[in-house]
Amino acid sequence: MSVFMDLNLLFSEDRTRLQNLVETAAHLGFSTVAVNYVFEPSAKKKQEVPAPRPINELIGQLPVVQGRSRPIRVLNRLTVVMSDASHFRPNAPEYRRFDLLAVQPTTEKLFHAACMLHDVDIICISVTEKLPFFFKRAPINGAIDRGVVFEISYAAAIRDATMRRYTIANAVCLMESCKGKNVILASAAEKALELRGPYDIINLGQLFGLSDSDSKESVSSTCRGVLLHAETRKTASGVVFTMKIQQEALQDSADSEAPAAKRAKAT
Amino acid sequence: MCADLSRTPRTLLVCDRSSFLDHKNRVSSQVEQLHFIYKVSVLLPECNSASSSLDSVFNSFTSFYLIRKLPIYELLDKDFLQSAVYQGSVHGLSFRTRIDEDNCVALMPNGRLTLSLDKDSFELLGFEGKPSRFNHRSCSRFEVSVDLTDSSMAPGGRGYLRLLTGLKSHLQLQTDFLLSHHPGGGASLQALLSRYDWSEHKPKVSRRCLSNLVCPAPRSCDPHSLLEWLGAVDADVRCENSSSSFLSSFVCPEANTTLGHALSVSVSGLLLPHDVQRLIQELRCYLQQPQLESWVSLTVHGFTDSLVSWGGSEHGALIGGQDFYSLLMFHDHTYRLYLSTATCHTCPP
Repeated sequence: MSVFMDLNLLFSEDRTRLQNLVETAAHLGFSTVAVNYVFEPSAKKKQEVPAPRPINELIGQLPVVQGRSRPIRVLNRLTVVMSDASHFRPNAPEYRRFDLLAVQPTTEKLFHAACMLHDVDIICISVTEKLPFFFKRAPINGAIDRGVVFEISYAAAIRDATMRRYTIANAVCLMESCKGKNVILASAAEKALELRGPYDIINLGQLFGLSDSDSKESVSSTCRGVLLHAETRKTASGVVFTMKIQQEALQDSADSEAPAAKRAKAT
Repeated sequence: MCADLSRTPRTLLVCDRSSFLDHKNRVSSQVEQLHFIYKVSVLLPECNSASSSLDSVFNSFTSFYLIRKLPIYELLDKDFLQSAVYQGSVHGLSFRTRIDEDNCVALMPNGRLTLSLDKDSFELLGFEGKPSRFNHRSCSRFEVSVDLTDSSMAPGGRGYLRLLTGLKSHLQLQTDFLLSHHPGGGASLQALLSRYDWSEHKPKVSRRCLSNLVCPAPRSCDPHSLLEWLGAVDADVRCENSSSSFLSSFVCPEANTTLGHALSVSVSGLLLPHDVQRLIQELRCYLQQPQLESWVSLTVHGFTDSLVSWGGSEHGALIGGQDFYSLLMFHDHTYRLYLSTATCHTCPP
């Protein structure tokens, strides 16, 4: 088992609200959280992908996780709500600034494309409305093979009774098709009061149809798998990655004297 | 497929009934099997205050040490091994490490050092171990178990050097550590303690006087209801099931009597089985005195985040769970012993 993580805390411009969210998450026992920037492109006007704010600007001092001695780890995540195939541009440079990438497809074709083709980490299952399409085994198995996970969020269920019905119905539908593999449970919380502790979420997972151990994995090991998947997205086959170094350092080394060296003869 | 919510996680309860006068009774060996004890609670019915001899036993539980940020390779130090581990008297457990999240360490009195590591730490350490029995789909937890008294782990041996290198340079494992020495001699630990930030703690004793306690008949009550009632008394939960309280609907099991008063004493810290044995002897002497109520209950709880369960087998925590046992002693030297484990994979002795 690995540490508990909540990979969906909704971003808000209000700094104190975000700070409260992170402090509550640390108090409840989550060791890693991800601040989620939701991007919903519309056909009418061109919108820019939001840029993630650096964590030290948003939250001054990271709180220590309750019961451990390390501070909480905060990551950035982007969720693209897709209602058209052109909304998600693969390999767009703006996506590189985020640690995690998620999509929320709204039609069956987009769901199929997200599962099989797109280079994402998380596929969000909508919980605020009745599922517009049925899950088929083929794209879900394809996603599981590729290491993509499905996310169910529970904060909507806390807010409203109708949403509760949709959340449970959609979640049970998903579990029937995927058999409890590659599922994560996250909050999508806007306020600190909508967060729940990890063991409570494990119990909630059992309501959705996950077994005891599957439910515990959905808050710990599977989330760890998502983080590793996201890290390797930026690398070549998960082995090599590049890092930009400062431009000033390059200039300096060019200015310093280097002894004249023979150039290799081109053959 | 709808969720099967009526199924609760399985637990195992072993019930044993015998007499102290029977020479084949296994109480001592069973008590020795739970190595890491967090709390001992005693319920003395019809008693206002404990007698002086009983009080002295409560106050004389062995004190233990808490070492902050102990690097685990120090447990392989030659002097420490010679003076403490080989004598077979050191209990140690990592503190503030969650069994399902962090790396945990346990040192048992028979010289067995057990590490429970997550996947990354195990791969860094580079010592042989096996996957945990409680892994589900993927192997994410591993257990490394080493017998320090074995000849291959003698200082200078190949296994010893490999583990030492692993803990010193590959995986610098450092946790807060609880350490206890028996019999009550901390001199052999001083060398280790002097190098780090340590503090000595005496087990905390708390007493509660209860009045008008409704209690079931201990001999005729079924084990599960009796243990629930004992737990409710220990946790100070009301058993009246009044309509004004929605928090608890516990009811005392049938065939009940009302006790005028009772004394509940609990001792918590890192406790030793040896001290529990002494307490059992003292409670037996107490029961021989002529008095109205003729039973005493003693409940011993293990640590929730302990690595080891009964007899050194692995302890896993899916949702949470302690191993515990409850000993119900009667005036006529008979007893009932209920041993329980949180997971269904290990069986109490």
